[in-house]
Amino acid sequence: MDFRPSSAQHLLVSTAREVLRKECPPERAQQIALDPRGFDASLWRRMAELGWQGLLIPGDLGGSDGSLLDVILLVEEMGRAGAPGPFVPSAVVATSLLLGAGSADQKKRLLPALAAGERVVAVALGDTGNSLELDARGRLNGRALFVEAAHIADSLIVAARAGSERQLFLLPVDRRGITRAPLESIGPEKAFAVTCDAVVVGAEDRLDSAMTWREALKAGALARTAEMVGAAQRILELTVEHAKTRVQGGRPIGGHQAIQHACADLVRDVDTSRGLLYTAAWKASEGLGAAADIPMAKAYASEACLTVARRGHQIFGAIGYCEEHPLHLLHKRILAASLDCGDVAAHLEDVAHAIGLRA
Amino acid sequence: MEFGFSAAEQAFAEEVRAFLREHPLEQFPLDGMDAGYGSGAHSRAFMRALGERGWISMCWPEAFGGHARPMFFKLVLFEELALAGAPFGPLAGSWQTADAIIEYGSERLRRDVLPAVARGEATFWQGYSEPDAGSDLLALKTEARRDGDHYVIRGHKIWSSHAGIATHGLVFTRTSREARRSRGFSMFVVPNGTPGMDIRPIRSLTGGVYHYEVFLDDVRVPAALRLGAEGEGFQALLNGLDSDRFWGRFYKAPALERVLRRLIDHANATGAAKDAGLRRRLAAMAAELAALRLLFYRAACLLRDGAPITYETAVAKVYADESGQKLARLGMDLLGPWAPLRPGSHEAQLDGDISHAYLTSLGHTIAGGTAEILRTTVAVRGLGLPAEPRKA
Repeated sequence: MDFRPSSAQHLLVSTAREVLRKECPPERAQQIALDPRGFDASLWRRMAELGWQGLLIPGDLGGSDGSLLDVILLVEEMGRAGAPGPFVPSAVVATSLLLGAGSADQKKRLLPALAAGERVVAVALGDTGNSLELDARGRLNGRALFVEAAHIADSLIVAARAGSERQLFLLPVDRRGITRAPLESIGPEKAFAVTCDAVVVGAEDRLDSAMTWREALKAGALARTAEMVGAAQRILELTVEHAKTRVQGGRPIGGHQAIQHACADLVRDVDTSRGLLYTAAWKASEGLGAAADIPMAKAYASEACLTVARRGHQIFGAIGYCEEHPLHLLHKRILAASLDCGDVAAHLEDVAHAIGLRA
Repeated sequence: MEFGFSAAEQAFAEEVRAFLREHPLEQFPLDGMDAGYGSGAHSRAFMRALGERGWISMCWPEAFGGHARPMFFKLVLFEELALAGAPFGPLAGSWQTADAIIEYGSERLRRDVLPAVARGEATFWQGYSEPDAGSDLLALKTEARRDGDHYVIRGHKIWSSHAGIATHGLVFTRTSREARRSRGFSMFVVPNGTPGMDIRPIRSLTGGVYHYEVFLDDVRVPAALRLGAEGEGFQALLNGLDSDRFWGRFYKAPALERVLRRLIDHANATGAAKDAGLRRRLAAMAAELAALRLLFYRAACLLRDGAPITYETAVAKVYADESGQKLARLGMDLLGPWAPLRPGSHEAQLDGDISHAYLTSLGHTIAGGTAEILRTTVAVRGLGLPAEPRKA
């Protein structure tokens, strides 16, 4: 047993931290986050130069041959920096789907371009808010809600009902009949409603394997957990710094037990969330059973990291209520991540099943 | 990163499981109550059985009769025993005391006490708290006065677990009045039955006896029973408390997992598991216990690697105790009107163990450092927040 990252993992993390510190300072992250269609194309390209979008992609398809654990460590740093961009839907979920279910042609066409940062693939996999259905004439109708980064995506992977089962389709966004409308969220995520009106689909648009779909969502759930842990870590650091330097009544507020004990609980919540995250990511990377570990990590971290954010607001006092202060965006990022790739209730239900509770 | 046990550790776990299969727990009589920490009841017979297997001394250096096994073997043993609900109550204390004796004990302690610890015959109570020295331990009044080759101890200790059934007390005393606050303390290993020692039981809110108070009326002990140098007892105690938080709580996560397992089986058997709200509470509890176990694994790796520990054991201890209270509360909810029935009662469900766990868990956030003291430790030692000014 060893909790320390390997030297390669350490290098990945320290590089990511340094790059994001330089190229995604808080002001830049803030600017992109507050712009409803914000996207930092130069940061996205820089990430691709470093091989980040290609971590899950094999070298012969233009990727950088990383593991899911590498991705998790990287996304944790992105969460910490509040880095914008559709990394989780495109470089984790869509990439996992294409690797597992794409045809040779789909893989060759898209994966090298994804690794190079030249393309973005958005995903609409959730059941909630999804009414997409394949009609008898092989056309897609309906809409999918909460599709992140649909405005900058080149392609979409959508789940649709086809008779009694669900099928996945990989579609170019400019396919006739597809429209995208922005949803206005309180958070930094750029969410869209994607509507399909008699969209003609063929066999070549289809992605196979329902199992892969669940696996890809699990990878996404882990990545969202990493994002929450990174953001909560940043809140912990900012809050403790504030408690040390904010003086009231002649003493730093962190000298009072009420604040000390609240800060002690922040550490606990971040440490426990990270422990579950790393264990689940390690098991998944090693091909060990992680059926209970991933939903445990996501459900637990969602509650714990949101608690960190809310407690952070209390400790920061009035200044944390301002738009220019970084706290609210970290908080909103945790909120968005907690809902994507399965919310708390869905993951707890998976855990309940895994621990043998009979519904 | 690597979160599994090694092949050797897994083989040892199987060895422990085989032992437990061959020795049904019913065959070990119990001497003292299970206080819910996860190490079960106090059983001399079970401790002797562990001693016979060589497991109490397995990690000691060979020069002291051990087999120098790596520390993680102790974790494996704890985990397997706790998952089985075995009565190994005194084991953590035996290990800690033995480690201190090996590190800085006198020849006499090494010769007289260690072999009895290895056999499972010597077990220890802690004489730390006093009526006016709880969280403020350094306010203690018990004194040890040097008298030739002996010390004479006079004072009053309280909240000493299993003092009436253990064999030796670790008595923390003041040996100098002049020294500044944290100096001038010394620890003694005092055999039970030494003239002048009066051990009286304190009945707890469970109806059973776990704690004792101990009156020390000019108890004469040879200087060779002092543990460590005179006046250096406080540092030794602090080290002991740090590891007490770890070793005295490590088995809690697996023990709570065992309780959770019983609640899950009960919920399935009664159909309560069909309720989505209850299913989610049980699932969230399972995640919490997994997170708890990882806090302890991380602290274990730091201890094994000799890395500095500032807050990690304090966080883990508080979380263990608060999770235990939460689980007991969940268990009480699950049992409904049956919840308060005590062990042995007609119609009691889950052997009445949940009501007992509910009551004993109340003491856990107090014993061995209150949750408040430990949160302050996390903030000050771990996060570097300024300490509150201390009154002289």
